[in-house]
Amino acid sequence: MAGDPILRTENIHKRFGDLEVLRGVDLAIEKGEVVCVLGPSGSGKSTLLRCVNLLEPPEQGQIYLEGRDVCKGADAPSGEAGWHVDFLRQRIGIVFQQFNLFPHRSALGNVTLAQETALGRSKAEANEKARVLLERVGLGDKVDEFPERLSGGQQQRVAIARALAMDPRVMLFDEVTSALDPELVKEVLDVIRELAGEGMTMVVVTHELGFAREVGDRIVFMDEGRIVEEGPPARVLDEPREERTRQFLGLVLER
Amino acid sequence: MNEILDQYFDIDLMVDNFDAVLEGFWITIQLSVIAGALALLWGLVLAVLRQLPGRPLLPVRLASVAYIDVFRGVPLLIVILLISGSLPFLPLPEALRIPRWFGKPDPFWYGVMALTITYGAYMAEVYRAGIEAVPAGQTEAARSLGMSHGQTMRHVILPQAIRKVFAPLLNDFIALMKDTTLVSVIALNEVALVGRDIQSSDFNSSALTLGALMFLVVTLPLARLVDRLIAREKGRFSRTSPRGAA
Repeated sequence: MAGDPILRTENIHKRFGDLEVLRGVDLAIEKGEVVCVLGPSGSGKSTLLRCVNLLEPPEQGQIYLEGRDVCKGADAPSGEAGWHVDFLRQRIGIVFQQFNLFPHRSALGNVTLAQETALGRSKAEANEKARVLLERVGLGDKVDEFPERLSGGQQQRVAIARALAMDPRVMLFDEVTSALDPELVKEVLDVIRELAGEGMTMVVVTHELGFAREVGDRIVFMDEGRIVEEGPPARVLDEPREERTRQFLGLVLER
Repeated sequence: MNEILDQYFDIDLMVDNFDAVLEGFWITIQLSVIAGALALLWGLVLAVLRQLPGRPLLPVRLASVAYIDVFRGVPLLIVILLISGSLPFLPLPEALRIPRWFGKPDPFWYGVMALTITYGAYMAEVYRAGIEAVPAGQTEAARSLGMSHGQTMRHVILPQAIRKVFAPLLNDFIALMKDTTLVSVIALNEVALVGRDIQSSDFNSSALTLGALMFLVVTLPLARLVDRLIAREKGRFSRTSPRGAA
């Protein structure tokens, strides 16, 4: 592959109490690459995204973003304080399963808030950017609606626009269609597909195998806190090398 | 039978003393509004201090918790007596020792201080409940967008938290209003003391009853308002579950 990866994790470990959720994850993402992460519940895929974003700072391991080590080193105090949190979060966008829109702000207000507070953009600039992005996710006519008046699919698209407004280098998607009614899944996947077409670097945790096959450049299969197998979608999905992957795909296809 | 009724509801006595009692009640209202506003503010400050992040700020969090515990556990009357009986003798500027701001007598301001100190602690607990009722996903969303703890608190958490606890805060305000009568013990001529003076000189309680009725005129509508706000908040919750979500 060409050049240095835009995002790289090295030996990431994370435990919650006695439970070791991540047991040494190495992952390198190239610029413009779409990596789909598959795996059973509890395999650590969501935790991996949350570690990369430092919502759950890992106990051990390194994270490099654009070649920069974002851990302040072993001497730094533990937890969030040991990391270059702001540097990382302002460059990595994340979209959650539960949308997490701000219910007291309109769609537009959701997309402008962090632009104005975290990036210090002017109100006019933030509004302009928000309108463009909401238009792009197909919600140009909903800018003044509040989240409670939007469908799940529309809320999730606002959440995507909100993350994009920060001009992220990498976007993380954490099972963003799992909380949606089936008929609303497509409108959200279409937006992600479009982003992929525009060259956005993305890590997508998903259960949508068809989507992963179509949009993913690479599939990473995780189980029990480790990466079991990775490779091009056709290879991993059609000719999995590992027994665990075969088992999982067999179960998923049976549904 | 009539004697019993007259003891509490002597209409002539009420009419004769109406102006005096109303004047006392006006002081009660002023005391309630000023102390209520300050307690709302002070409670919010305490609640925010209690939520400050990181290990270096642990002493601030502990101080806030200790303050809240202490003043929720100490009777308001004792706080009133402590302040009014000690402040005049402390080595402080006269304006603080014997405050007569805005033409109000010093017992008024001692009362404001005691009520703010005590009810600030109560209200801090109410704010805390509101802050904790905001889903963790809200903080995560804001922080993941690069917003700082302070920005997240101010723009995301508090606006939602305060909306959730508006009704319980109003409840505390009603309680504060009733507790302003305790300031009568340091000779503030509010409604209870006016009524009590008339009771002592006329051997009749109707002026105090009148004061109680004036309270009801204000507190009953407020209590109804609290009920309606709670009902509305419940309705809001059921509507906020996203349509189209599984």
